Amino acid sequence: MSNTGTISEPEIAVSLEDVRKTYQLGEPVHALDGVSLEIPRGSYTAIMGPSGSGKSTLMNLVGCLDTPTAGAVVVDDKDVRDLSSRERTRLRGSEVGFVFQTFNLMPRLNALENVALPQLFQGISRGDRRDRARELLERVGLGDRIDHLPNELSGGQRQRVALARALVNDPAIVLADEPSGNLDTETESQVLDLFAEFHGGGTTMIVVTHERHVAERAERIVHLLDGKIERIEELDGVEEK
Amino acid sequence: MKVLETLGLSWRSIAGHKLRSGLTMLGIVIGIAAVIAFVTLGASLQAGIIGDISPDDQRSLYGWAADPDVEAGPGAGGQPIFSQSDLDAVGELEDVEAAYGYAPLQAQTVSSGNETVPQGDGVVASGPSYIGNDNLEAGEQFEMGETQAVLNPAAAGQFEDEVAVGDTITLTLLGGQEIETEVVGITETSEGLSPFEGFESSPRIYVPTDPYYTEQIAGLGAGAGQGDGPSQNGGTNQSGVPGANDSGQSPNASDGGEPSNASVAGQPTNASDAEQPTNASDAGLPVITSNAERYGAASHTDTGGLQTRTLSMQDGANGDSSAESVRFTAIVVEAESSDDAAIEAARDAATNYLESDESDASEFLGDDLVVSLETSTELLQQVQDILNLLQSFIVGIAAISLLVGSIGIANIMLVSVTERTREIGIMKAVGAQNRDVLGLFLMESVILGLVGAVLGTALGFATGYLGAWYIDLPLVYPLEYVALAIVVGVLVGIVSGLYPAWRAARTDPIDALRYE
Repeated sequence: MSNTGTISEPEIAVSLEDVRKTYQLGEPVHALDGVSLEIPRGSYTAIMGPSGSGKSTLMNLVGCLDTPTAGAVVVDDKDVRDLSSRERTRLRGSEVGFVFQTFNLMPRLNALENVALPQLFQGISRGDRRDRARELLERVGLGDRIDHLPNELSGGQRQRVALARALVNDPAIVLADEPSGNLDTETESQVLDLFAEFHGGGTTMIVVTHERHVAERAERIVHLLDGKIERIEELDGVEEK
Repeated sequence: MKVLETLGLSWRSIAGHKLRSGLTMLGIVIGIAAVIAFVTLGASLQAGIIGDISPDDQRSLYGWAADPDVEAGPGAGGQPIFSQSDLDAVGELEDVEAAYGYAPLQAQTVSSGNETVPQGDGVVASGPSYIGNDNLEAGEQFEMGETQAVLNPAAAGQFEDEVAVGDTITLTLLGGQEIETEVVGITETSEGLSPFEGFESSPRIYVPTDPYYTEQIAGLGAGAGQGDGPSQNGGTNQSGVPGANDSGQSPNASDGGEPSNASVAGQPTNASDAEQPTNASDAGLPVITSNAERYGAASHTDTGGLQTRTLSMQDGANGDSSAESVRFTAIVVEAESSDDAAIEAARDAATNYLESDESDASEFLGDDLVVSLETSTELLQQVQDILNLLQSFIVGIAAISLLVGSIGIANIMLVSVTERTREIGIMKAVGAQNRDVLGLFLMESVILGLVGAVLGTALGFATGYLGAWYIDLPLVYPLEYVALAIVVGVLVGIVSGLYPAWRAARTDPIDALRYE
């Protein structure tokens, strides 16, 4: 994480240029209808919007899980549309970290193994993986829980394991989808504090949420409506567009 | 992703569902176990039989004369046509080491000290080298012309005081002759020494053909038998009337000059009422057909009352019981060595001589009666053929079990893929390539197949050994089948896991992560 802000890396972590995503469900549905957005490196962005506004589609595109129908999604200076499926998976593995509402930990792997899982697919040796995973678990305050299975952990602990896993490959961006949706108020603030802490350390954060107080932790809020950016709210008070 | 890492993850999924995985493997376990158990038993059986073929035995050719259409095993349908002079002449041949007759004797009892035990069959008259030196546990071979015997451990152990080399036993033949016999050797095994005897374990006494075989015939002919022993053939009347053979009638005469029929069914003659053991059916080789014949003959003599069979005397020599007129149903010809070439040479030389006009046997030989000379190994081929047939049958059943097993694995893997859709989504989201996911699921089904195969192999060996131990066969380790079983297990795993793994690999992570 400490090297996230080094000079050799591009200033823009993710950029979207007039991105459209159309699903053919009987008649075409425009999930995203011309979205342009730049996520600077080291920024903390929240994306808000009602159901069906295109939040999930945007997440999938930025997370290299999907490709746009038109327009360009550039992650870490690579246009996702130019990549093969395999290269896209590699980019996702190394440059995107996911945090999900339902934690999505592997049920039969303990905390340490869950955190180390992305590095397994990167071909990093077992010893290095475990060192890195232990370090991150200690940073999220779970150094004493590394041998526990997910079902032996509380919701907040699970989400902290998920956050550690998202960070393990030193990604260009961390994508969190309703990260506090399944947490009570107290653990929610613990997790959001950790987000802030890692952001402070230079990690680029994108949080998708429908809760205002979660979004307000970010530097800016992108409001989506009907597949378009309704407005971008800079939380230092200035409003663009 | 390294294979070992894949292995670890896959193993964990399997271990997470022990009962399900165990049941899934069962089809493979049963299939493999069936094959291994049978192969172990078969190999043990084979070793039990072939192990009885000593190096000496490997150069022995077992000969008999039978209708070429009779295909029922060593000695089946054999006719008593080989005279002692034939054997002597064959023994003199350049490529032949020795030749001697073989005849199971019909006895009644054997006594040692004050103890008498019944010994109906299992008395075998033959040449000295019939008992190879390496078959002897103690003592030596008997000598021709002497009243000596070699016992097998089962025969020696019949008495409370186990018979040892140097003891004297009394052998009571069917005709009633009591022969004081010196025990000169004990064999190593109680199993038969040649295919003529069969290979099962039973008490056996080996004696020289001269004087025992000739004595038996002579005894019957001389009326020495008192008819006081238990009948060998189920109620055959044997009152020991003198002149059993002096009807002066050769069976070919009684049945219209067809020698090959002479003793097949036991030609009834009205002149003799003594059981004549040299008939093929009676001197019968211990093969299945000879039993059938024996029973056939028994019932025949029952209905016939006093009727019985006569010795087939080529020259019809009346009452001639000398060694010269003795005819053997079965002979043993020893080659110079156990080389294929030496055996072939001995076989050709002996056959040529026996078929030539010089031999006594030749006058009976023709289209209906031909000489067969075969080694133990060749004779065992028949046993082998039956084993192979059974084996194909079992392998067929096992193949069905493996097919069912592999469908079971495929089925459970498909369930597993569906069940773990979300896990697949997570792995793909954090950077798992399609081939990583494919590898994980394929590895799982391969482990199922492999572990099933290993368990099946263990179970099969255990079953096979238990069987082999139960029927007292040597234990043989057909280890090449372990490798084969493992290869089959892996193949079954791959074949049945390929489609489920492919389904898993092409799962769309977006859908998978939404999957509840």
